[in-house]
Amino acid sequence: MTARTAAVAPARTGMAVTLSGVTLGYGRAAVLRDIDLDVRPGELLVLVGPSGSGKSTILRAIAGLLAPEAGTIRADGVPVTGPGPDRAMVFQDDGLLPWRTVRGNVELPLSIRKVASAERRRLADGWIERVGLAGCADRLPRELSGGMRQRVQLARSLAGSPRAVLMDEPFGALDAQTRAGMQRLLTGVLALTPATVVFVTHDVDEALLLADRIVVLGRGGVRAVLDVPPGARAASPADPPPAGAPGGVRRALRDQILTELEDTA
Amino acid sequence: MDAATAAATRPAAARPTEPAAGPAAEIPAPVPAAGRRRRPDAAGWLIRAAALAAAAAAWQLLTTADVTFGLRFDRLPSPAEVAGAFAGRLGSAPYYLDLAQSVLRILTGFVLAALAGVAAGVLVARSRRAGDLLLPVLEIVRPIPAIALVPIAILVFPRDEQGIVFITFAAAFFPIMVSTRHAVRALPTSWEDAVRTMGGGRARVLANVILPGALPGVFGGLSVGMGVAWICVISAEMISGEFGVGYRTWHAYTVVDYPGVIVGMATIGAIGWLASAAIELLGRRLTRWLPRGGGRP
Repeated sequence: MTARTAAVAPARTGMAVTLSGVTLGYGRAAVLRDIDLDVRPGELLVLVGPSGSGKSTILRAIAGLLAPEAGTIRADGVPVTGPGPDRAMVFQDDGLLPWRTVRGNVELPLSIRKVASAERRRLADGWIERVGLAGCADRLPRELSGGMRQRVQLARSLAGSPRAVLMDEPFGALDAQTRAGMQRLLTGVLALTPATVVFVTHDVDEALLLADRIVVLGRGGVRAVLDVPPGARAASPADPPPAGAPGGVRRALRDQILTELEDTA
Repeated sequence: MDAATAAATRPAAARPTEPAAGPAAEIPAPVPAAGRRRRPDAAGWLIRAAALAAAAAAWQLLTTADVTFGLRFDRLPSPAEVAGAFAGRLGSAPYYLDLAQSVLRILTGFVLAALAGVAAGVLVARSRRAGDLLLPVLEIVRPIPAIALVPIAILVFPRDEQGIVFITFAAAFFPIMVSTRHAVRALPTSWEDAVRTMGGGRARVLANVILPGALPGVFGGLSVGMGVAWICVISAEMISGEFGVGYRTWHAYTVVDYPGVIVGMATIGAIGWLASAAIELLGRRLTRWLPRGGGRP
């Protein structure tokens, strides 16, 4: 599962991200101290932790929106000094520009990269279709449901063919049913890109469903880094764990994560 | 029309063909197109018309009977006299010259104020140093009503015309600047973050986030600015103009042409209303994307 098929841009690969000795904070108080973390090229790494554990802060730092107070963040070995089109971001809510149509939003990263307008439209419409919004290209964000808006954000982030996609609780504001649908859609759509994905959530089941690896964050920083074997993933969080070893592995992982999280509470 | 196209495309959205089908339940209900403003019914219209007629009748009675009862109505023209004077003025070329003169003045002052006000508002909201530089001066000048700047305008500008445009500019500038500043400051950071993570620089953020995002607030300022600019252009014309609706109204008073005064007042009211309505309409068209209220299709 780590090696995803590169159907859209076969020549491109996912980005490796390395955090070494990173301290992050807003103003005086440090939220996270001395963090070390490796994100492998092409993997889907989930950061899971309670609110206030700094998982979104890490994501913003990788995006280049927040400069670390100490330590360095490297993207493929190059220190991150600011945001760039190689690291796309999906926000929890409010990420779309409300005065632009669906197509206008998805075309934006392409227009910033100075792609010619006909090509821009072709690429944008392709991604709009891939996230299941064909026919909605001319609608404004206010005419879409929360789930549809997140699909647009997903399409927009992938349209710029980034090498890493940073997702900040993208399904956090959705109801359970929409969320399950979006998780299925995400798995399908991400199979079309070789990009590395860093996904932030506070939902342990969502983490287990999507992740190649899970990083558990607590007050003190990184509590545990866990590999999720492909067999341990369920088709949906509602499914009961299958009989036999894989289900057992999944349940054991879940218990382990919950224990780590409880310790920090 | 927007609602209709949205409704037509909705079924397509409910049947996504690609990787995973989203539940149909997430398709939102159609946005109600009509605003929440209550429209008067037939009786309402009747009462409104009757109220206007009653006011006109009271005016006619008070003036034709030359009532002096504390207030003196004996020198005020009656509605009939005013209507006659208005019809006369409408048929004369100077009326339109005055109108054109006033409109030209207000448009010049207002457009300059809009450009400068938006630029200053964005600058002050986005750059701490620009704020340090500009805010002290602006905050000192701001509480002075623009009309109180007339003596300065007369002293500084060699021609009356420039002085009047300056007064109009000063009147409209501050509401526009202040509301732009607030609107820019109130923008959610995620919009800017989104554009920056796509590789957009300062110019992109300004053109694609700040200016369109601040537009609803800017239009609030333009509305207020147009109102005070119109007040000020009329007042300035009364003091120092040689043409214009304000000048003509005051001139009518000095030559004891009282119906002419009322004609001038009515003209001022009508143009002021037209200007505000134009701004309102333009604002609504440009901010259709707003979640509710402003976006009536």
